[in-house]
Amino acid sequence: MKILLVEDNQRVSQFVIKGLQESGHTADHAGNGRDGMFLAASEPYDVIIMDRMLPGDIDGLAIIEVLRKAGKRTPILILSALAEVDDRIRGLRSGGDDYLTKPFAFGELLARLDALHRRAQAINPETPLIVGDLALDPLTRKVTRGTRPIALQPREFKLLEYLMRHAGQVVTRTMLLENVWDYHFDPQTNVVDVHISKLRQKIDAEFERPLLRTVRNAGYMVTAGE
Amino acid sequence: MRSSAVSLALGYTALGITALVLFAAPLWYAWQVTIREGRVEILQADAQRLTDVFRREGAVGLKSFIDVRVGMQIAGERILLLTDASMLPLAGNLSKWPTTVPISPGNYSIQVEVGNHGAQPALVHVAKLGDDNLLVGRYNTIFAPLQSRFWYGLTAAIAVLSIAGLLVGLITRRALMSRINSIQQTVSAIVHGDLKHRLPTHLNDDELNTLARTINGMLEQIELLVHGVRNVSNSIAHDLRTPLAELRSRLEELALIRPPPEQTYAEIDGAVADVDRVIRIFDALLRLAEIDAGMRRSGFVALDIADLVANAVEFYAPAAELRNINLVFRAQGAVSASGDPVLLAQALSNLIDNALKYAPANGRIELAVLRRGEATAEVSVADNGPGIADSEKSKVVERFYRGDASRGTPGVGLGLSLVQAVAKLHGGSLSLSNQNPGLRVAFVIPLDAPSATALTTP
Repeated sequence: MKILLVEDNQRVSQFVIKGLQESGHTADHAGNGRDGMFLAASEPYDVIIMDRMLPGDIDGLAIIEVLRKAGKRTPILILSALAEVDDRIRGLRSGGDDYLTKPFAFGELLARLDALHRRAQAINPETPLIVGDLALDPLTRKVTRGTRPIALQPREFKLLEYLMRHAGQVVTRTMLLENVWDYHFDPQTNVVDVHISKLRQKIDAEFERPLLRTVRNAGYMVTAGE
Repeated sequence: MRSSAVSLALGYTALGITALVLFAAPLWYAWQVTIREGRVEILQADAQRLTDVFRREGAVGLKSFIDVRVGMQIAGERILLLTDASMLPLAGNLSKWPTTVPISPGNYSIQVEVGNHGAQPALVHVAKLGDDNLLVGRYNTIFAPLQSRFWYGLTAAIAVLSIAGLLVGLITRRALMSRINSIQQTVSAIVHGDLKHRLPTHLNDDELNTLARTINGMLEQIELLVHGVRNVSNSIAHDLRTPLAELRSRLEELALIRPPPEQTYAEIDGAVADVDRVIRIFDALLRLAEIDAGMRRSGFVALDIADLVANAVEFYAPAAELRNINLVFRAQGAVSASGDPVLLAQALSNLIDNALKYAPANGRIELAVLRRGEATAEVSVADNGPGIADSEKSKVVERFYRGDASRGTPGVGLGLSLVQAVAKLHGGSLSLSNQNPGLRVAFVIPLDAPSATALTTP
């Protein structure tokens, strides 16, 4: 992926750019709103990471609004220390696609960037999802592994669908909470893990090759590969 | 002496005097007019009688008639004078024609010099009898006592009114000042930091008392808030220091010992977990502050509370199952209200989370959404765990408070504070009760938008 980071904090920028490069992405950096606006408007990026509060007279939200008005559809992840629910809503309303509050874990950022990129490639929501021998049909709501049908609760179906739409990508617990349950807070106990292990029981337990994997310190991934 | 009480009293006094004058002035005028008219009639009758005598008996006859009458006069209150054409007195009890009276028929009010009595007010009537001039009149002296009494009365009334007004003003001012002084002392004590003081109140319901009670209520709230803030900052200091201290020693040890890479990575992971703990506390505090500021009403939408609870129960069901806890929700149909779904879900999550922590293995957690009357609904979460002591009930909602039973369990002690803040934001309240065994936590929220389709439970 070709990624633009608009962020004024030197340390955070260094950390993110280095992390992105190590994960095999190309990353550009703009340290202020003016450069960020220029790069975002002129270069073709897959995803843009935008800090909200920037030095100078242009802030992150203003850049997003200008880009959207100019017809740029590049997915944008807003990175901000403003954590209130209202700030979040304002950020998404201005045209941002996702909102991550500082401080954040790099794994979380990377997973969200992947998800945004994938979403932008616009897979038909009605196309059956297939990972290895696991198939999920969003229309008939049928799940099969090999030839065996698997019965899932509605929420389990939604969970698996989300994981399969991001097959091959790490999906964090927060992403699952937000997208599967619409919960925008952090439950104290490991409830998500329990849901995952229940789902795993159903789709992986009796098969030789597990598809739903736990990625240490990051989250989960559904993949047929190694 | 700038005092509202005195100004008010003086104002009322002035008003009283004005009213008195407005009442007395027309009375005085009417009185004067009536008297004058009556006397003019009498004088005209007198003059007519004398004119008749003049017609019948001529000037000589009139002169003797007047002489007789002057001689008969006892009180001397009448004035009679007849002069010839050259103004020489012919008869009567005046030595000469008064200079202030013109020699033409009419009625005149004049001052007449009477011997050593000085000038006396009199009303005179002048008539022409051939070439002679006739003057009849009467002194006004009989009315003088009455008039002076009227004036004395009026003056006395004004004086009494003024003095009473001034006195009342001063007394009220003294009373007011003494109460205001006590308020001032209390307030300056509060300003200097002692929030325990309250304004003195009395049993009666006058304006100052009402004000004092209102201010006391405000002070109560301020004290509570300040106390809360103090507690919170103390707890923040404590609860953030602990993970920060752990983090610091972990990193310092790492720098000091320089263990092999594998161990170093493990220590770094531990350090990140420490930081995450601090971040979680911060997030919880910020969320609480956000709710407390009342700003979150912007997130209010029409929602179904029963649906929200059902979702939360579904979310926690696998976790409960894992511990063999029976998590049940007694649904009784939709309960529509207006609220913030994110916050309500978080509050529910905190309550279920708590219940899961304290319910024994193979235990039972019961959730219910019940309509309480027309306008409120009660959401309750009950477990069959150890419950909490009555003495702890008020403390568990305090920020960072952790009961003895919770030591050693994960959490930062903000869960119930958040539930309470959310309930408050929705205009409701939180209540805790023991149900032997177990704790029942309920929050009541008003349903400000009762929908017609909502099921009414019998």
